[in-house]
Amino acid sequence: MPDDQNFGISIEKIKNVLQAEVVIGDELVNTEVTGVYASDLMSDVLAYGKAGSILLTGLNTIQSVISSYMAEFKSVVFIRGKKPAADVQEFAKDKGLILLSTKADMFEACVSISRLNEGYVSPDLSLISAREDKYRTIHEFMVDGHDFSSAGMVSTQIKSILKTIGYDPQLIRRVAISTYEGEMNIIMHAQTDKARVILNASDDEIIVKLIDEGKGIPDVERAMEEGYSTATDEQRAMGFGAGMGLPNIKKNTDILNIISETGKGTTLELKFIVKE
Amino acid sequence: MQEERCAHLWEMADVTYGFIIMQKCSHCRKISNYFTEELKPPMEKYREKEHFWNYMDSTQSIRFNLRCSRCNTVVNFEELLGLMMCTGCDEKCDVNIQMKELAKERTWIYVAFGYLPVEEKKQLTKEKIAILEEYFNQRRKSSKSKIKIVTHELVRDPTNCYGEVIMDSDMLALTTDK
Amino acid sequence: MKLKEIVKKLNLSELTKIEDKDINGVFISDMLSDVMGSAKPADLWLTVQTHKNIVSAANLVDIGAVVVTHNKKVPKDTIELANRFNVIILSSDLSTFDIVSKLIEIGLKPK
Repeated sequence: MPDDQNFGISIEKIKNVLQAEVVIGDELVNTEVTGVYASDLMSDVLAYGKAGSILLTGLNTIQSVISSYMAEFKSVVFIRGKKPAADVQEFAKDKGLILLSTKADMFEACVSISRLNEGYVSPDLSLISAREDKYRTIHEFMVDGHDFSSAGMVSTQIKSILKTIGYDPQLIRRVAISTYEGEMNIIMHAQTDKARVILNASDDEIIVKLIDEGKGIPDVERAMEEGYSTATDEQRAMGFGAGMGLPNIKKNTDILNIISETGKGTTLELKFIVKE
Repeated sequence: MQEERCAHLWEMADVTYGFIIMQKCSHCRKISNYFTEELKPPMEKYREKEHFWNYMDSTQSIRFNLRCSRCNTVVNFEELLGLMMCTGCDEKCDVNIQMKELAKERTWIYVAFGYLPVEEKKQLTKEKIAILEEYFNQRRKSSKSKIKIVTHELVRDPTNCYGEVIMDSDMLALTTDK
Repeated sequence: MKLKEIVKKLNLSELTKIEDKDINGVFISDMLSDVMGSAKPADLWLTVQTHKNIVSAANLVDIGAVVVTHNKKVPKDTIELANRFNVIILSSDLSTFDIVSKLIEIGLKPK
């Protein structure tokens, strides 16, 4: 993909040609997008959308902005005159996502933008047919370690991606649950805003890595003991409560690796074997 | 003042997106449902009269009313939870029997389903079903076929019905299950 | 514009039996609820949805034909149901957005 500065369409141009209203992000309207994605299916957006794109959608809910944010899109255009609600606007404002609303329907919107005839990048459709052969997809997500209201966001996105790719539902459930527990751990216990989750999914295995630079787990061996699920005073002293979840994570993964150092951080590596 | 009869021209109004929540009573095994606009529908057990409802399943759906673009009359469809196409899975089901008959006249049957249990909840009236039918047929004026809408009470065995529901499945698949 | 002409010019795959008919417009949505509310008879419906309830929606509003975009695999049961109810399903390996450019080229425009 050329990294030429002139490659791309400015959101301002799109706004004009759609006669759209800028709902959030007026000051960012000169941003350029390098891709256009027209869809209402957010799991697809997450799996195939390319960073730096603009989303055209009729799905007027917070899911469209969460997914766009996760897929690193720059902007979302709501079609058919749909206007995002306050919580959607707030999320977009907070994440620097530009929101537009146009009266045009999806066909009209696509026609108008294609007539601009600028260069853009199509979504990565190779992933769809690649499922037939061997393939690997890697996604990285940031976790805001202090943001309790966004708890579960990463695991839900991961679940969506795996569903789209087509893994066995039982496997997806195990990945989703353990990732969720891991994500909750970070938000509830790590006490850091530096954390990320890396999904590495292929034909043979799915690996989820949760990496934080938080306060660490003092006694990893103990924490991994089966049946260590009730909150004891000891656990509370270590900073773990009833919602710890490591045993639950262990129950759901095929291989669980924990590396932790107090004061430095924790890495949880969850491995799942894909059976055919 | 005499009310003039309007030849209503219907359009969808007050479209709301939400979920249809299916529940099962742990006591009597009856199934009930309701529509909620909440993005994360509550999944706790709760008691209602003699029932103890347990969350079973949820699917995204829409609710709408119909408004006449000529006289502004609004007909409320709060008893309607969705529309379902008959696929002829049950030889003995009345809907299937009607479908076979109507297919000869190029008429397609859709089931308007509503609240469960049927005995305990308010159902769509015949008049409202007729209006719903009118709405869909008005939009198909140019078409060679027609739509007939029947109540879900005609379905012989709802728990084993393989009708195809018009719903947005997987649109909001982003709720965690724990 | 005739459906068979569109199929030929856009190089669409025919997944169900197909008859020639007039296509009056284009409707794009992945939300069946939107189809139910806004699509028109004889529209060409572009979507990535492949579940068999698309047949239910297409039939209700008398869609001209469904085009599944993004090279999505359409399951057998959707195709079987479509054939039973004479709903035409076609497939394209282009994205929804890309296929719009092609539609304009062959002359299908918004009203």
